[in-house]
Amino acid sequence: MKNTVIRFERVSKQYRLGLSRTSLLKTFSHTIRGGYKSGGHESARREVLWALREVSFELPQGESLALIGRNGAGKSTTLKLLANITRPTSGQIDVRGRLSALIELGSGFHPDLTGRENIHLNGTILGLSRSELQDRFDEIVAFSELERFIETPVKRYSSGMLVRLGFAVASCIEPDILLVDEVLAVGDASFRQKCLTRIQALLRDGTSIIFVSHNLFMVQAVCASALYLEHGEVKCRGQTTDVIAAYERDLHEEQARKLESLWFEQNEGVIEAQITGVEVLDTNGLKPGEFCSDQSVEIRVHYKAYRSSGKANAAVRIIRSDGLTSCIMRTRFDDVSFVLQQGDGTISVILEPLQLVGGTYHVEARLLDELNTTILATGWSEWFYVSGSAPSYEEQRGVFEPRRRWEHHSLSPHAIRADKTEGQPFILP
Amino acid sequence: MESTESTASRMVRDTRGILGMKDQVSHLIGARDLLWAWTGRIIRARYQQSVLGGLWMIVQPLAVVALFSVIFTLFVPVDTGDMPYPVFSYAAMVPWLLFASSLGDMTESVVGNMNLITKIYFPREILPLSAMLARLVDYFVAFGLLAVLMLLFRVPIFLLGWLFLPIILAIQLTLIVGLGLALSAANVFYRDVRSLLTLGIQLWFYASPIIYPVSMVPERLRPYYYLNPMAGILEAYRAVILNGTLPDSSIFLSAVVAVLVFAFGYWFFRRVEFQFADIV
Repeated sequence: MKNTVIRFERVSKQYRLGLSRTSLLKTFSHTIRGGYKSGGHESARREVLWALREVSFELPQGESLALIGRNGAGKSTTLKLLANITRPTSGQIDVRGRLSALIELGSGFHPDLTGRENIHLNGTILGLSRSELQDRFDEIVAFSELERFIETPVKRYSSGMLVRLGFAVASCIEPDILLVDEVLAVGDASFRQKCLTRIQALLRDGTSIIFVSHNLFMVQAVCASALYLEHGEVKCRGQTTDVIAAYERDLHEEQARKLESLWFEQNEGVIEAQITGVEVLDTNGLKPGEFCSDQSVEIRVHYKAYRSSGKANAAVRIIRSDGLTSCIMRTRFDDVSFVLQQGDGTISVILEPLQLVGGTYHVEARLLDELNTTILATGWSEWFYVSGSAPSYEEQRGVFEPRRRWEHHSLSPHAIRADKTEGQPFILP
Repeated sequence: MESTESTASRMVRDTRGILGMKDQVSHLIGARDLLWAWTGRIIRARYQQSVLGGLWMIVQPLAVVALFSVIFTLFVPVDTGDMPYPVFSYAAMVPWLLFASSLGDMTESVVGNMNLITKIYFPREILPLSAMLARLVDYFVAFGLLAVLMLLFRVPIFLLGWLFLPIILAIQLTLIVGLGLALSAANVFYRDVRSLLTLGIQLWFYASPIIYPVSMVPERLRPYYYLNPMAGILEAYRAVILNGTLPDSSIFLSAVVAVLVFAFGYWFFRRVEFQFADIV
């Protein structure tokens, strides 16, 4: 049984909105003017916001947990509570070990100091002794790739450089617990890759990690389990893929509701059609949820038309879990069109083969009018997985996995003598 | 330690990092490295982009003393006995400037580093304390110059008296820390503190024996006059440095006031420091 390094027990955090910042003068003038609003009553109208409400979770040593949720769900508040930056209104927090937090860009850096001085300062803040710092200084600089700028004040750094320095310091001190908040989104792809490799190495060495990101791709790469927060409460906790699916479902529902209400506004409550389901199926019409790249796939869009409104178009978009549009297919551009008849119907597009790189995707389908200008309905499929990849960093692998064969021709005279394959295509398996 | 409405408690952490402080004492000892690093940062930042650099440490007291010397020897002569006026006022001006500039810097220290406070944890006392320590460097340099001035004006130097300086300085620092902690914390919640301090320091300057001797204060007002802890402290400085005598009993009153102020300031700071990050 592993040790628990973080225990959050029924933790709540309340913020007061519009904290009594009213000046004496304002209060005074209110009082003089009289009326119903006297200065004293103003403070009673203070609103409170529960950033977290009765949140409990534990993190065993060496494991990683992703916090996901919309903005304002309480992710950053949780990190700040863990980092001891702020205190809970109620509940108990138990943190064991040296904790290093990377919260927001350039956190803990002083703009006027050079990179070198900031490394020293930050290392000291994070609890390193001078000799420990000395030992790791070169490693930090090397990792951040900022050798040339180490004597430059950090106020002249770009945001990417700040992230590099921040992550280098936070990760090189070998913390027992590492908190990472969104910041990696700023760095370039190759540095992000490097960070992920480092995070995975830290995990292997027993560091526990709490990771906050809107990039669900990275979340999946780093964390085995996830906690989904909504309005300061735990909505669900479990395997990352399941939690992300639940989160995305909620996002889609919300998006659909928004679109629907927008539609109602624009069309005075007249709905032309609705997408009742989007399925991603194999050639047998089954829904395995996981596909191979060279498999044929059918995307089937079920709709319900409330009246026959003539010609219509459909658009199908495959979206990767980090939000990247991997492809868009439109009937209009393919010179295909159909007529929307009142009642139920389906539109299918068959991909032969799928040719997507391994990863997590889903489909967004839309019905549009004849001119392709007005969206009549929108719907989403569930997540589906394309196999052929360990859940590692996928951004650098592209999205397209073409059917292919390799050839090799050598025109060197030595090659001819060595093996008589001149002109013969050399096909890799 | 906890805010009043809070029923929360934070468990004891591992003691390896500064996050693992068990109690307030080890809390600060563990943060010693940080205190020095931060103090060094302030000093470096202060003189980084200035031509005169470290010379500023003595330019200010010298300029002020020169000005007052002209006024109070030529325009409105002040009786300082045998003591040349520049030496007389400089001996009090140096500790006064430590007091005034420390308080000014300490008051701004927390507010000026809100970006750190909302993003990283470290003992918050570091900020006001290092602001004061950075000023202490100026103080020592300026004091070195006092010896030069005394030689210049042929004032006898009583080296034995200088041995008392650490005690007097300790009392003064206790007072400064107490006030500074309270002011730096209060300034987070009400920015009026800053303006109030500027005004307060001005008034306090004239209520302390810096540019005039205590002998000019009417006898019947003296008991009240010495309620100002700086009065006893500054007089003690003059006694041991200029007169080569022991400080009179007013230093005890100053010490008592200083300890009380310190106790209050520290208590207040600890009480509200965990709200700092919540004030945006």
